Amino acid sequence: MSKKKIPITLLDLLIIGGILGIIAFIGYRTTAVVHYKWNWSVIPQYLFRYDPQQERWVTNLLMQGFIMTVKLSIWSTLLSLIVGTVMGLARISSRLFYRMIARTYVEMIRNTPPLVLIFIFYFFFSDQIMTVLGVEDYMRSLSPAAQSFLSFFCAPPGQCSAFFSAVITLVLYEGAYMTEIIRAGIESIERGQWEASASSGLTWRQQMRFVILPQATRRVLPPVAGQLISTIKDSAIVSVVSIQELTFQGLELMAATYRTFEVWLTITLMYFILTFACSLVMRRLEIAFQIEETMATV
Amino acid sequence: MKHRSYLAGVFLAILLVLVLCTGGYAESVRQELAGESTLEKVMRRGVLKVGMSTFVPWAMKDKMGKLIGFEIDVATRLAEDMGVKVEFVPTKWSGIIPALLTGKFDVIIGGMGIRPDRNLKVNFSIPYDYTGMSILANRDLAGGFTSLEDFNRPNVSIAARIGTTAAAAAKKNMPKANLRLFDDESQAVQETLNGRVHAMVASAPLPAFQAIMYPEKLFVPIEGTFTREPIGFAIRKSDVDTLNYLNNWIRVVEAEGWLQERKRYWFETKEWEKQIQ
Repeated sequence: MSKKKIPITLLDLLIIGGILGIIAFIGYRTTAVVHYKWNWSVIPQYLFRYDPQQERWVTNLLMQGFIMTVKLSIWSTLLSLIVGTVMGLARISSRLFYRMIARTYVEMIRNTPPLVLIFIFYFFFSDQIMTVLGVEDYMRSLSPAAQSFLSFFCAPPGQCSAFFSAVITLVLYEGAYMTEIIRAGIESIERGQWEASASSGLTWRQQMRFVILPQATRRVLPPVAGQLISTIKDSAIVSVVSIQELTFQGLELMAATYRTFEVWLTITLMYFILTFACSLVMRRLEIAFQIEETMATV
Repeated sequence: MKHRSYLAGVFLAILLVLVLCTGGYAESVRQELAGESTLEKVMRRGVLKVGMSTFVPWAMKDKMGKLIGFEIDVATRLAEDMGVKVEFVPTKWSGIIPALLTGKFDVIIGGMGIRPDRNLKVNFSIPYDYTGMSILANRDLAGGFTSLEDFNRPNVSIAARIGTTAAAAAKKNMPKANLRLFDDESQAVQETLNGRVHAMVASAPLPAFQAIMYPEKLFVPIEGTFTREPIGFAIRKSDVDTLNYLNNWIRVVEAEGWLQERKRYWFETKEWEKQIQ
């Protein structure tokens, strides 16, 4: 990482000029031709507002949606990693039965549009499962402390069954891709590693745990990072079943204020901040793992 | 041995199912029906779950992130009179009936027009409000248009929100025009503003409000409304108990003059506008 001065060429200037030109043109079109009246001053109050009753700043619509998106993404990523690992292992199992289950799952999910999946889960499965389990009544019967705990990590009691069905859908959807990533990661480990660990007397389980998975983890990190970012973006799709995440809150706000462009641009920026932060963190993690690997081989 | 205990388990399970079934039948049918009514469930839960969709000025979010609007007032008062808490479930309009049928909420209070085809799927209360459709047109494209007939031409495109009575009214009154459907009113307004459609159809007073906001771009070509539609609460079918309660509640608040007063506030004044922007 040497700080060498990078010369700016004529081509760079041309590209920068071109981009600025396009932005200016779009700005001109929306204002002069479409007669859109820009009013950015309404946006900040929908992020944070001062609550006179509690005498402190609280989050408002867009920020609440943002937080919900973060919660959805975290739960979906964690659980889809678990589903992906289990299914990935089943995918390479020596038993035909396990391989068939995993294969069916992956192919069924990968070959269905996510929008269709969301509707099917929300209207058919989630309703049957959540009602039978009595999820909602249970949530309501919880103590106030448990309820606020639940609201913090998941969703307020009234929205819980919708939240869970959204998480389940996202997990099943992303899990199929995770399965393939994990399978590819494990299969990419050279035959010799298996043979060497087997000859040192380790059982299959021990080989997996101490030799194969640690190496596979490093290799799957970049594609898992990609999948994580895609989970955050895919979470927007659950807005169609009224999960109050960022896109949904944005749509609601547009329906109330008719500030279409401002709201869409704000939402875009908020998604970008979230996914870009994830990219940076994952990049750090990759570097850390690489250092560890070089240390290990040395 | 193992085999025998397994058989015993199955036998016990069958017995349990039989006992549960006969137990259920022993209750009187009437009691069962009343016990299963939405009304009873709401009282037990202590929360009335209301399905709605953002729709200015029926229901919208204010600066505080709180829901306000005519429907919100109605639903809040209804819950208050029942002695329960109200909980709103904002839902996309296109999926609001399936969501009601699958039990995501107890009742739709969302300016839903009573229509025979909808009535085949849900039960409606008596009307608590009437609305009508009105047109919002683009000045450049539909400058001289003054009647429905002017819009009823194949080269004219009309926008409306998907699944609304506005879409149905547009189809019925302007069958020759090219109908384009959107998920939200704001998108339809944007299309009209951008000049990609000649006009949009929506429940009054939305077109009039938008025309005031963009006077140089939009106008209302036809004064007043061109349809009159009853608005009712929608609940799941064959729930006479709940329906009876809702109908009588509407009669009471109407007789009090409360409904008319709220309606005047939200539809004829614009005092509430500062709460939004």
